[in-house]
Amino acid sequence: MAHDDKLIQELEKKANIVRHNIFRIFDSSQGGHCGGTMSIVEIVTALYFHHLKLQYGNPDWPERDRVVLSKAHCCEAIYAVLPEIGYVPSEALDTYYCYRSPFQGHADRWCTPGIDYSGGSLGQGLSFAVGMAIAEKIKTAMNPPPTPFPQFLPRFLVKYNPMYRVYCIVGDGECNEGQIWEAIMCAAKYKLDNLIAIIDYNKFSLDGPTEEIMPLAPLDEKFKAFGWWVKEIDGHNLRELVDALDLASNLYGDGKPKCLIAHTVKGHGIPLWEQEHTHLARGEGIARGVKEGRERYAKV
Amino acid sequence: MPKYNKYVKIGPPSPAAMTAMNDAMIKVAQKNDKVVAVLSDMGFPAIGWFKENAPERIIECGIAEANAAVVAAGLAAEGFVPFLNSFVFAAIGRAYNSIRQSILVDRFNVKIFGREGAWGETGISHNHVEGIGMTRVMPNLVILNPADAVESAKAIIAMADYIGPVFYRQEMSPPMMSIFTEDYPFDIGKAYAIKDGKDATIIATGYMVTEAIRAIDLLEKDGLDVGIINMSTLKPLDEEAIIKAAEETGAIVTAENGSIIGGLGEGVAAVLAENMPASLVRVGIEDEFSQSGQITPERDDLKIHFALGAEDLAVSVKECIAKRDSLKSRKRSR
Repeated sequence: MAHDDKLIQELEKKANIVRHNIFRIFDSSQGGHCGGTMSIVEIVTALYFHHLKLQYGNPDWPERDRVVLSKAHCCEAIYAVLPEIGYVPSEALDTYYCYRSPFQGHADRWCTPGIDYSGGSLGQGLSFAVGMAIAEKIKTAMNPPPTPFPQFLPRFLVKYNPMYRVYCIVGDGECNEGQIWEAIMCAAKYKLDNLIAIIDYNKFSLDGPTEEIMPLAPLDEKFKAFGWWVKEIDGHNLRELVDALDLASNLYGDGKPKCLIAHTVKGHGIPLWEQEHTHLARGEGIARGVKEGRERYAKV
Repeated sequence: MPKYNKYVKIGPPSPAAMTAMNDAMIKVAQKNDKVVAVLSDMGFPAIGWFKENAPERIIECGIAEANAAVVAAGLAAEGFVPFLNSFVFAAIGRAYNSIRQSILVDRFNVKIFGREGAWGETGISHNHVEGIGMTRVMPNLVILNPADAVESAKAIIAMADYIGPVFYRQEMSPPMMSIFTEDYPFDIGKAYAIKDGKDATIIATGYMVTEAIRAIDLLEKDGLDVGIINMSTLKPLDEEAIIKAAEETGAIVTAENGSIIGGLGEGVAAVLAENMPASLVRVGIEDEFSQSGQITPERDDLKIHFALGAEDLAVSVKECIAKRDSLKSRKRSR
């Protein structure tokens, strides 16, 4: 399953495009949730440019994979991808925070093509993803897929895929919310092997380190105890990300929801935001960070 | 005997509303195979039918109402029509923010059954009275509160056909009278005048329509001709019906089985104040919680405690008429 270096290099380039789009968003808005946005750049790159089943320029394709951004304040990272997959014109990047903009302050399904979930109030996205994943199961049960050719093969040899998979990007801080654990129980109960949750474990929330605010460790054991399949990865290593995503989706059929715990760094790649674990910055804090980012990452 | 309008045929109180709900829910589920039942360990109308005929359309989320609400939103996003069912304190109160963020923001087609009202043996926790006020402030939400079994069934069928979030308030109260005939035309957002009157109008919702019907009998004996409007859609309010009643009688009494703060009374007050100022008395629960109370043929403590009976309503109507007349004479003397 090893991916060749060429793919990883391609994805590195894409990640840079995403970063520069994020800088452009911050240029115009002069504010944003920069820390959590930079920590999921590689995650969204691996998803949108390699892993997801989607059609260029067709955000309403019924069989597309769903992406639920539960940590909807980090929508800048998704917004930066959308022009690259033809969902919105790139001019939209200059309208973040603006009145009637497709790029609202928090992800908004009503306003933005390609956004599957309107979030902002934390801890609810995973429940929504569970609902979407149950919907896929019911739809498939109501209209079972035709038996693939050749029909004489025993069923266990035939690879089935769900109509769509549901990916949910969850922040580590929002795992403090009780509803996240309600959703985790519910996903295991309904054997949602079509659901893949990606935890952006950047270890900082607004008030400080998550281990001080509300200790989460050992997160992997907690998910396992709730009946999930869990894999821990470096959330900034594109090779690990694509390998883990492909592995998780190939395990479809085992009846277990999947969780990738992506260890990340808040404000990754931008020294200022990394040092200060910046959650939200405005004005000078954004401008300086963006300048550092532009110096560090080559424009593609 | 008071003269009622078309489609009204008053019958004795019966617990038929519950079975009507059940039968209507079966009809809805049979008609549309996208209708799913999202449970939070608090039962469901027609659950027997679902278990027998479509077990895959039951999603049991356990005692986790916030999760159930958002799971329902996820299902609705994929084209299903989820129905939730619980007490209002849990289905709405516990899940308030989840409903706001995940259902209402995107107008997902989720239907919520919520039980509440002043009456019940269960006490302060379950005898919830704030539901109408709590939900009336929520954008994109339709609120239904039917007055009898026929209207319950029609409301459920109408809410299933309507595309968008609906809160169906199922009242905890003494048994309702049977009020409407089978051909009664129910429309979301339309109030129905059960009886026209010259002296005053009672605008009632849910169980209080039953008490209003009893009250006009008492008032007729005193020579007063009082009308009743059944306000079964609490949001959007039928403003035209309210303004018309104010024009005709100038004395409006609202009656609801819930808190008068944020409730039907306040909604009507706002419509009157902005369009057609009239004398108004709000009957309902003052700023307090409910408590346990049993209903027996001999006595109904909570009805007395909250002054929600027909006699109290009749007194309020007279008070309202007196207020109107004193206002008129004051204007004249100026």
